[in-house]
Amino acid sequence: MKYLYVYPEKCTGCRECSIACSLSKFGECNPKKAAITIVRDEFNRYEFPIVCFQCEDPVCLKFCHQNAYQIIDGIVIRDKDKCIGCRLCATLCPYNAVTSIDDEIIKCDLCEGEPKCVKYCSTGAIQYLDETEELEKRRKDMAERFLEINKKR
Amino acid sequence: MFSGKLGIIDLSKKKITLKQTPESLKKLFFGGRGLNSYYLYNYIKPDIDPFSPDNVLIFGTGFLTGTLVPNSSRFNVSAKSPETGILGDSNCGGYFAAEMRYAGFDRFIIKGKSKKPCYLYVTDNKIEIMDAKDYWGMDTTDIQQNLRKDLGHVEVACCGLAGENLVRFACVRTGVKNAAGRCGLGAVMGSKKLKAIAVKGTQGIQIKNPEEMLETVEQLKDYIMNSKITSILGSVGTPLLYEVSNTLGAIRTKNSQLNAWSEKLNAEEIEKHVEKMISCSSCIVHCRHRNMLGGEGPEYTAVGLLGANLGIEDPAEVIELNNVCNELGLDISSSGTILAWAFELYEKGIIDDNLTDEELCFGDFELAKKLLYKISRREGFGNILAESTKNIAKFGEKSKDYLIAVKGLPQSDPHDCRYIKAFALGIATSSRGADHLRSRPTLEIFLKLPKEVKEKIYGKGIPNDPTSYIAKEKTVYFSDNIFAVIDSLGVCKFICHGFNSPHFVDYTWIKKLVHCASGWDVSEKELEDVGKRVIDIERMFNNREGISRKDDTLPKRYFDDPMPLNLSKGHHIDRKEFDKLLTRYYKLRDWTDDGLVKKERVKELEDLA
Repeated sequence: MKYLYVYPEKCTGCRECSIACSLSKFGECNPKKAAITIVRDEFNRYEFPIVCFQCEDPVCLKFCHQNAYQIIDGIVIRDKDKCIGCRLCATLCPYNAVTSIDDEIIKCDLCEGEPKCVKYCSTGAIQYLDETEELEKRRKDMAERFLEINKKR
Repeated sequence: MFSGKLGIIDLSKKKITLKQTPESLKKLFFGGRGLNSYYLYNYIKPDIDPFSPDNVLIFGTGFLTGTLVPNSSRFNVSAKSPETGILGDSNCGGYFAAEMRYAGFDRFIIKGKSKKPCYLYVTDNKIEIMDAKDYWGMDTTDIQQNLRKDLGHVEVACCGLAGENLVRFACVRTGVKNAAGRCGLGAVMGSKKLKAIAVKGTQGIQIKNPEEMLETVEQLKDYIMNSKITSILGSVGTPLLYEVSNTLGAIRTKNSQLNAWSEKLNAEEIEKHVEKMISCSSCIVHCRHRNMLGGEGPEYTAVGLLGANLGIEDPAEVIELNNVCNELGLDISSSGTILAWAFELYEKGIIDDNLTDEELCFGDFELAKKLLYKISRREGFGNILAESTKNIAKFGEKSKDYLIAVKGLPQSDPHDCRYIKAFALGIATSSRGADHLRSRPTLEIFLKLPKEVKEKIYGKGIPNDPTSYIAKEKTVYFSDNIFAVIDSLGVCKFICHGFNSPHFVDYTWIKKLVHCASGWDVSEKELEDVGKRVIDIERMFNNREGISRKDDTLPKRYFDDPMPLNLSKGHHIDRKEFDKLLTRYYKLRDWTDDGLVKKERVKELEDLA
């Protein structure tokens, strides 16, 4: 199974990933209307891609009262027709990986195996890789760090 | 909407008008620099004082700004320049311009003058004039961070203390180092009591042919990424040009008394002070350094003009001066040129302690740093230096012979233009004064580039010898035109055909990109015509302010003093040959022999709407 892995040290903050995502999903260039977000602050000197981890036990799925989410082949998919746009998933996702803007809920579906964000990244800061033990450990470490930060808030 | 709104802000009347830019005008000038120049010509009356409410300050995004098109981050800030008294225009990257478009705006035209310090707060389709009393007096980082604290994640373009204090070479800054640096546009902000524009937008840019854009950009990205120059720029940035110019003996050193300087400022040395390379919005080149001294940069311009030109060779000191300029909101090119000019005048006894308050000498980092602060606050001798090239009046006619400027604008390129003749013609004719980003045919520096490659780009008869005057009007003419187009599209010159590479985005690529975004079918010839139109309307603005052939000249030193060191030893610009070259350039442009846009063409461009 392939997943998205991020390497913040390689991210330059350009947002081609999120612009490509919004262009392919909505026909517009808008980094705020994408399933991937680059959190950047030039004064505090960081760039960080936020992606959906496709959790094994996803909060978005667990709390969706419309059962709009299901896991298909390891990917957490939102069924647009079932979704009523309540934004609970976006609010509850501990990684802020579900985007909500203009009555739209945007959830990464890995673009049917060809993620646009990866294709348009020029530095390899986002990669689509086969799940290996080492990568999976890196991914989980990162997720746990995120959760820690969330708890502190 | 693909097309955004035009916001007209009258600060005197506190009136805001929202309009749509006519599509017909966009087809003629696209946006960015092109449309800005059109509006400057039509909105500014001749002979006005650049610091008066009559001056018009424009922030214009490019036609493709904020899209998936690589390196489409850019906007132009334009007004009548307080430094030169002619066309003032400066191109800038960062995140501000993309955000303007996401908020639904293509362009702001700012007129009049506010009574009290103010800033503009721009959100989706809305502009508000806000009180800036709490922000006035802040450095450029301080204000941006404070605005973010108060308004959330806004992108900001602002002026620093230098702009507030009307330093004639104050820049407009966004982010840590991106600057619309040239022509003193930060001082125009200051004169209007406009501290900043803060933008936050959530709307997208509707693309006419999304699939086509995804495909075209994928191809373009591969093409650009596969070039060697891209990976070099992406790892060490523009400082790589320092070594190239230095080896040639073409690095302006100590106000061009010398033409080569220390290897300690080579890119590999600069790199030791760099933490990470970062990007502007949509950029795939990522040439910007996040340095370990708390700032961003330096570019080649800073390395040359705050290093070699001031006689400083410690990279850490150069980086610190670079950071100081950015913090204060000073244009680095003018700062380094004006300081070096004053240092030499002092050495030569043309100015003395009575004027300068203290001894001036090259190589003194602490002195340079102190003077930058004094300039920004207009204290003591800093108050005099803040007048930039206008100091000829104060320093005496003789001082003019040592000034490295054209049309009152200090030269931006740290490259000494006595060796490469096309560079010399470029800075002599550029529409904002001595500047390399208008028309520098950089390829001239790559001595081993085959003749066929150059001829394919510039036309027949281009000799491979950069010191030859033959046909060099063609290289400048070509570059002038295509750079005007790329500036109007909001795309960075770093991926423009003929700037750093003989490949990259040429008219054929532009044609495809414009089609993806807007659905417009434009031919290569029509695109080149846009460039010519921009150059002509800028020249019309300058002609109206009294600019003609007499002003298309070079610093005296470039004519009369042969270069002393390295490969370029003995080279200088021959007055007669230069004059002939200028005549040929005018002919190609279809200007009169006196460098004026012909009457029929003036009428044609004045009738456009």
